[in-house]
Amino acid sequence: MEREEAIRKLQESVGEENVLFSDVDLTLYGYDASLEKGRADAVVLPGSTDQVSLVVRLAYQEGIPIIARGSGTNLSGGTVPVRGGIVLHFSRMNKILEVDIPNRTVTVEPGVITLDLQTMLLKQGFLYAPDPASQKVSTLGGNVGENSGGPHCLKYGVTTNHVLGAEVVLYDGTVTWIGGKNPDNPGYDLMGLIVGSEGTLAIATKIILRIIRAPEAIKTMLAIYDSIEDASNTVSAIIAEGIVPATLEMMDHVVMEAVEKSVQAGYPLDAAAVLIIELDGLKDGLDRQAAKVLEICKRHNVREIQLARDEAERARLWAGRKGAFGAVTRLRPCYMVCDGTVPRTKLPEVLNQVMEVGKKYGLLIGNVFHAGDGNLHPLILFDERDEAEKNTAMKAASEILKICADAGGTISGEHGIGIEKLREMNFIFTEDDLETMRKIKRAMDPKDVLNPGKVIPN
Amino acid sequence: MNLVKLRKFTYEEVTRCNRCGFCLPSCPIYLVKGIESATPRGRNAITRAVIEGRLQWSGEVEKSIFSCLGCGACTANCFPAIKTRDIVFRDRECLVSEGIYPKIADRLAQYILEEGNISNENNEERAEWQELIKGIPEHYFEKEKADVIYFVGCVASFFPLAQKIPASMAMVMEKAGVDFTVLGGQEWCCGYPLIGAGMPDKMDALIKHNVEVVERIGATKVVFTCPSCYHTWKHFYPSGAEYLSASEFLVELLREGNLELKPLDVKVTYHDPCDLGRNTGVYEPPRKVLSSIPGVELVEMEKNRQLTTCCGGGGNLEMVEPELSGKVADLKIAEIQATGADVVVSSCQQCLRTIAGRARRRKIPLIVKDITELLAEAMV
Ligand SMILES: Cc1cc2nc3c(=O)[nH]c(=O)nc-3n(C[C@H](O)[C@H](O)[C@H](O)COP(=O)(O)OP(=O)(O)OC[C@H]3O[C@@H](n4cnc5c(N)ncnc54)[C@H](O)[C@@H]3O)c2cc1C
Ligand code: SF4
Ligand code: SF4
Repeated sequence: MEREEAIRKLQESVGEENVLFSDVDLTLYGYDASLEKGRADAVVLPGSTDQVSLVVRLAYQEGIPIIARGSGTNLSGGTVPVRGGIVLHFSRMNKILEVDIPNRTVTVEPGVITLDLQTMLLKQGFLYAPDPASQKVSTLGGNVGENSGGPHCLKYGVTTNHVLGAEVVLYDGTVTWIGGKNPDNPGYDLMGLIVGSEGTLAIATKIILRIIRAPEAIKTMLAIYDSIEDASNTVSAIIAEGIVPATLEMMDHVVMEAVEKSVQAGYPLDAAAVLIIELDGLKDGLDRQAAKVLEICKRHNVREIQLARDEAERARLWAGRKGAFGAVTRLRPCYMVCDGTVPRTKLPEVLNQVMEVGKKYGLLIGNVFHAGDGNLHPLILFDERDEAEKNTAMKAASEILKICADAGGTISGEHGIGIEKLREMNFIFTEDDLETMRKIKRAMDPKDVLNPGKVIPN
Repeated sequence: MNLVKLRKFTYEEVTRCNRCGFCLPSCPIYLVKGIESATPRGRNAITRAVIEGRLQWSGEVEKSIFSCLGCGACTANCFPAIKTRDIVFRDRECLVSEGIYPKIADRLAQYILEEGNISNENNEERAEWQELIKGIPEHYFEKEKADVIYFVGCVASFFPLAQKIPASMAMVMEKAGVDFTVLGGQEWCCGYPLIGAGMPDKMDALIKHNVEVVERIGATKVVFTCPSCYHTWKHFYPSGAEYLSASEFLVELLREGNLELKPLDVKVTYHDPCDLGRNTGVYEPPRKVLSSIPGVELVEMEKNRQLTTCCGGGGNLEMVEPELSGKVADLKIAEIQATGADVVVSSCQQCLRTIAGRARRRKIPLIVKDITELLAEAMV
């Protein structure tokens, strides 16, 4: 089919004003928060499942790639149209369809912003727990696509632990339901397969999420350290003692400096590292747990512990943490984040190796990460306009992921593979493993129209 | 402005935009339109692509760049604090020199340069609002010499809905015994609309004239009820007299005890105008004025101060795309209604016009007042 005709058909399906194809639009839908770039052939803003289905059917018939997109904040090229195609931007499908308190579920359209849902629920005393640092802009469709995690996922689990079911559009436009409000469904866990598949297996058009009661009490502490090693050892020790805090986040001095330039979060600029430790649960017992954590911190040479006195102070501590990635471009124009995960006991050793990589290549590296999960996020700082420095940064990133893999960890904790981490898939999977994945992909998307070129290396 | 200059002033800045998207939910234009070219991130990316030769100036670029309110909400939510507003205004200058811009701007520039105001009216008509005050002779508030100049601004001078602002402000100053004057036909547009139109180079004559008038009158203070005039004088005019927003000046008067106030039993919410709050840093004075009136209860909107949502009237949008501007006003009206306040108070004639105008068109019962108006009501 000619491009003009395809565009006309799209316009018939969703309305003229909901199809974009100017030079500007196609360029802008070519990026996400990673450093990758591509170019779409058309952008569609669907308003309903039926419209998504029509567009996907057309794409299937014509063999046109189709890329689902929320807010485009993923960090791995997941929404970059590497082979052109139609980008489905879900900004119009942004309604919270049902809040079912007795069954502890909500049903949402994929374009709902994560924080909007959380704010609405909190007013009723409920919580949707997964809280990626990008929650104020990320969409639930994107969270599902990436199986996103966040600080509180240490205690509550990542996105997949909260998705009960979804209405999905399959490769040929068929609409079907997977899972449902029941907490457990017989047969294969297809929902589990789709969460984290980065839009390569199906497109979610409605999502049923699990909600829980908001905790009765919260205690947020900032533990300040003069050495990263002491901070890391504290992390392993807390977990080893059987305490599961709501969060255990670490930040080093490079990141704290960048954050403090942006907002006054109150981080100590002369410290080597801090931990943000949050405990939550029933009021009774929280003090006891806090005392225990304090004692562990002291055992590992904590310099000082500050307790957030009120909600405003707590919000400030978190605002700084959540803006950390963006803030580092105050130090250098660009960053690349290595989302490797390692066993917690290996943290001190791996962090040292990461810093060695930085030294070897003369690159500034900042660290801010979900320490409790052993999910590192070394941020390599550079200027992408300097081709040589960019190449060095990419080499360093790959080496860091290799270090994580060799330490018994993995190459992505939560940011996905997209196209940026394709090569590194070989660090953790054998050719047989990858072939199994390809078979699944072929079974669910025989013509390779759903976000082609992502996740599995050829 | 041309590409070479644009590159010099903005390339480093746009490169630091790391496309994190944290600005998206704060941009009213994105909230209404839901497309990437309406996001601050998109505007930065367009600018970068043009500088790098990946995009050309075009009508599509114009659409994105001229549909920005200049409200600055993006920067307030951006960790590297990318100044998209400044970037957009520089882009507009480039687009103007390329001849790709909303042609209505030419008419605006013509009015300003020929008549001295945005309304294509005889500039002497600036004094018209004084007729709202009963029992004073014509040109009552115009003097040869005075300590304080009250710079009224074009919108409050010529738009009937906003004329109550200068009337209230003048009454308050009169009651407080301030030695002040207004400039009548000697007041020329401050030039702000030309910045938004991408034609700041045309401002020079206006600045020169206005500054000369201030010197002739020998004033030590110039007071503004219009946040955009105030912002423009503070940032683009040479320093001379002290420039004060109305609420800063009113706080001084209240502190000196020159105003006697009676109680008003009313629950209000306060809308921070972008050019007064976020873009010039005046947040507390208007709140102090409100709290000085007995009986006034202030309930804040969820997004206030740095995080305020624009009324929809910024950046010349109302002129270029009135319907889009109205849809932004809808967002603001919803925020106002959520507070349960009886009255929304602002300190800007443009906010007042945009919010009240939209509410009226959509038949939403909403009382919108300027802070000077509320204070005038409370005066004994
Ligand atoms: C500053 C910053 C901090 C971040 N912090 C975190 C963090 O703490 N934890 C974390 O996990 N991530 C984090 N991220 C990454 C990113 O924000 C998350 O991956 C987020 O879930 C992406 O949401 P989105 O709406 O932007 O999705 P997009 O980027 O638009 O899409 C992400 C993926 O999901 C797919 N997708 C989108 N919608 C659908 C749908 N309806 N059906 C099927 N697939 C779909 C896309 O094809 C793509 O592969 C961060 C990013 C930034 C920029
Ligand atoms: S302008 Fe700031 S907040 Fe917006 S995408 Fe760029 S860096 Fe992020
Ligand atoms: S200045 Fe306002 S309208 Fe313009 S991009 Fe920023 S937030 Fe959007």
